[in-house]
Amino acid sequence: MKAEIKLALTMGLLGGVVVFLFGGWSVTVLGILIGVFMGLSIGGRVNKKDGPRKLALQSLSTAGIAAVVFIAVSLFQNYVVAPAGGQFPSELYIVIPANLIGGLGMILFTALTAALHGLPDRQERLGKLILMVVLVIAFPFIDRITGLHWSGQIIFALIFVILGLGLNIVVGFAGLLDFGYAAFFAIGAYTTGILSSPQHHIFMNFWLVIWIALAMAALWGLILGTPTLRLRGDYLAIVTLGCGEMMPIIFRNLTNVTIKEPLTCWIIPGIMRLFNSSAATKCITIIDNLDLTAGEKGINPIGRPYLPFIGEFQSNNPIPWYFLIILLILLSVFLIRRLRDGRLGRAWMACREDQDAAVQMGIDPVHTKLTAFALGAAFSGFAGAFYAAYIRGIFPSVFEFSTSIIVLCIVVLGGMGNINGVILGGIIIMGADRLFLPALKDLLKGLMDHTILPALTSNHTLQAVVAQNANPILYRYLLFGLTLVIMMALRPEGIIPSAQIRAELHADEETSAVEKAVKN
Amino acid sequence: MKSFFRRFMRPIIAILVIYLVFLLGPIAGLDFPIIVGRIQESPKMLVQFLIIGLANGAIVAIIALGYTMVYGIIELINFAHGDVYMIGVFTALSTLSVTGALTTNNPVHLVLGIVAALVVAMIVCASLNVGIERLAYRRLRNAPRLAALISAIGMSFIVENIGLIWAAQSWLVPSFGTTGGGAQKSFPDLLSKIMISLNLDPNLLASTGLGLRFTIKDLLVIVLASILMIGLRFFIQNTRLGKAMRATAQNRDAAKMMGINIDRVISITFLIGGGLAGAAGLMAGLYNNTAWWFMGFRAGIQAFTAAVLGGIGNITGAMLGGFLIGLLAAFSDGYMDARWTNLWVFAVLVLILIFRPTGLLGEQVGEKA
Repeated sequence: MKAEIKLALTMGLLGGVVVFLFGGWSVTVLGILIGVFMGLSIGGRVNKKDGPRKLALQSLSTAGIAAVVFIAVSLFQNYVVAPAGGQFPSELYIVIPANLIGGLGMILFTALTAALHGLPDRQERLGKLILMVVLVIAFPFIDRITGLHWSGQIIFALIFVILGLGLNIVVGFAGLLDFGYAAFFAIGAYTTGILSSPQHHIFMNFWLVIWIALAMAALWGLILGTPTLRLRGDYLAIVTLGCGEMMPIIFRNLTNVTIKEPLTCWIIPGIMRLFNSSAATKCITIIDNLDLTAGEKGINPIGRPYLPFIGEFQSNNPIPWYFLIILLILLSVFLIRRLRDGRLGRAWMACREDQDAAVQMGIDPVHTKLTAFALGAAFSGFAGAFYAAYIRGIFPSVFEFSTSIIVLCIVVLGGMGNINGVILGGIIIMGADRLFLPALKDLLKGLMDHTILPALTSNHTLQAVVAQNANPILYRYLLFGLTLVIMMALRPEGIIPSAQIRAELHADEETSAVEKAVKN
Repeated sequence: MKSFFRRFMRPIIAILVIYLVFLLGPIAGLDFPIIVGRIQESPKMLVQFLIIGLANGAIVAIIALGYTMVYGIIELINFAHGDVYMIGVFTALSTLSVTGALTTNNPVHLVLGIVAALVVAMIVCASLNVGIERLAYRRLRNAPRLAALISAIGMSFIVENIGLIWAAQSWLVPSFGTTGGGAQKSFPDLLSKIMISLNLDPNLLASTGLGLRFTIKDLLVIVLASILMIGLRFFIQNTRLGKAMRATAQNRDAAKMMGINIDRVISITFLIGGGLAGAAGLMAGLYNNTAWWFMGFRAGIQAFTAAVLGGIGNITGAMLGGFLIGLLAAFSDGYMDARWTNLWVFAVLVLILIFRPTGLLGEQVGEKA
């Protein structure tokens, strides 16, 4: 019972923190989401035999406490924090239904999800699936009705989920640390950009380009992987970092490409000059002054997908984009699961656990690693194509080292080798980066301007210093860095660990436990 | 037929690769006719680039020592090391600002300020590096190596963020026109100022009439770097602690059995590496006259490349590698295309790791990933 109260308080406050930043209708959306989440966590500890009805009733108390905490925080935000930040509190006709639906939704969905645990296994899985599908489909519409405008940022998060899924093949399944993953993202995006932008007078259909981008990324995975994958461990990591850093430099500087055939242009004339011959050869110029990537200015605009009935996807309507990226994720997850469970996936994991033993079993390590590298890269081609079409413009600075590390953060946080973990990690990391931090910035700025700074009027330098540093966006890198360091120190296997990785990472704890036991 | 292929495969591939370099190299500035033409035009410039390369290489070498010492002892790429150096630049700049050396014209005050900046930068960076080891690496010493590497990357991001916030503090970092933490800050050219206030020409070769520049900045960097390198060599070869470090690098368990306090030795390694990075920070600030929160990343990669080039774990190798990388960068800036210099540094890193991971002077480093 104590554990349940703790859970209820954590969940209520967790939701409250987010509501704190957004206010308004976010109460409703979060109430439902947290309800589902709470139901899932309760389900892990209950007695399955009790049956759905009893479980639902049992969960009610927890859900009730959480809902009360949650609504209390929400009201506190609306009537205390918002005025302190210089905003008007929401009107009653929004506050009452929003909080009511949010609180009731939380209780209802907790009970519903908890009840699912009481069903037989197959029905339970089916029920959860239906619940998930309903939530995923309903999200953009709720988002639009409530006017929260989270969809645009959630789409970013989902792009990074695909990247995380791809990197997970390389890092999680095959155990190859890749610090240059953004390079393949860049290749996918630039392929799309070059093939469907007026800058190059090529207008290919997005539905075709996305596959070309995928193939290009995979091809470059093969090209970069072939020489590098002989290395092991940290040397491989650094080589991938080097390759990954070369890509933005290349894309930044390919602004006037001239290729002259060297034999005819200077080798033969040079030799002739050595022998004092005056015979001239004709210099063959293959490409003359081609502006391939437009440097810092980037490629834009880029063509967008078009579908009958929907028309061309527009930037002011995120719903088609949302469903497109969800489809891409589903496709990726399907493919990755098939790969993981097949012969190739098992070979990856065997190589990860012990390469020498795997070779003895007849696995070709180079081939295995190369496929992991190329397939991992292929999914970032997907993400790159979608990203280019969605943003409508690509710039080299997007694909630098920090992007590779953000994707690595997603994989590490969610759990290396676990698909669900990576999806959760992507949503947490990118949600924090794209939604949470900007909202926190606005909140802090409002509080600073209206409440805290006036209290410091006596000291103008201090006032300036505080105002300048109270910007959470400044601390973005700190957030990613801390995620990596803390996860590695406390829970290297991630939030949702894969069983094998956990065993591997805690191997020496086991041996030391055995040693202790022997000593005693 | 088959033996024919086997026999000529390698030369054919080699010729193909050389042809491809000739064909595509010019895109990235590697255009031999142009390079040869420029060298013929003014051979004096070659000497000039040699000087610039040596001075920059000295800074890279000092940073590289920190990488190579840590790798030699715990086989970890201390990814945050480049960022520790960046903190060194900012510490030096802030110390100079606080001591008033930035605004004075009194040569004694300036020299004292620079000495103070050197000492403070070394102390701050050394403690930072030791702290990083305590917080992020120590508990991962027996974990898989990749876990420690990921932690190192995380630490690097944290230190970069500290630099970004530091750069935004106008009361610590004078801005000289640029504002905001993200912008590059200027680091005043104090050495030339000392020379001018003493009525001397900052260019030491001005009176020779050769038309070359060898300034007080070059001299200071090369002299200070040499002192630090010789001091480090002496410390490692001739002192008890240096011996303990070498023993730990060779075999940690055996060293432990001989009664060496491993934790202490590792801490001291990080301490020395950090101190060197701090000194490099002051030198780089005085030499290149910029301070930027992101400069540690590029410098770190260059230094790591230098360490690998010389043979990681090998201290003489790191010095050699540093000078080579400095020369490469200067040569690329001067004769090829400055936009592509970083690409060539990365290319050297990738090629050396693929084809000769032991480096130029390296002994075999155990590969036990």
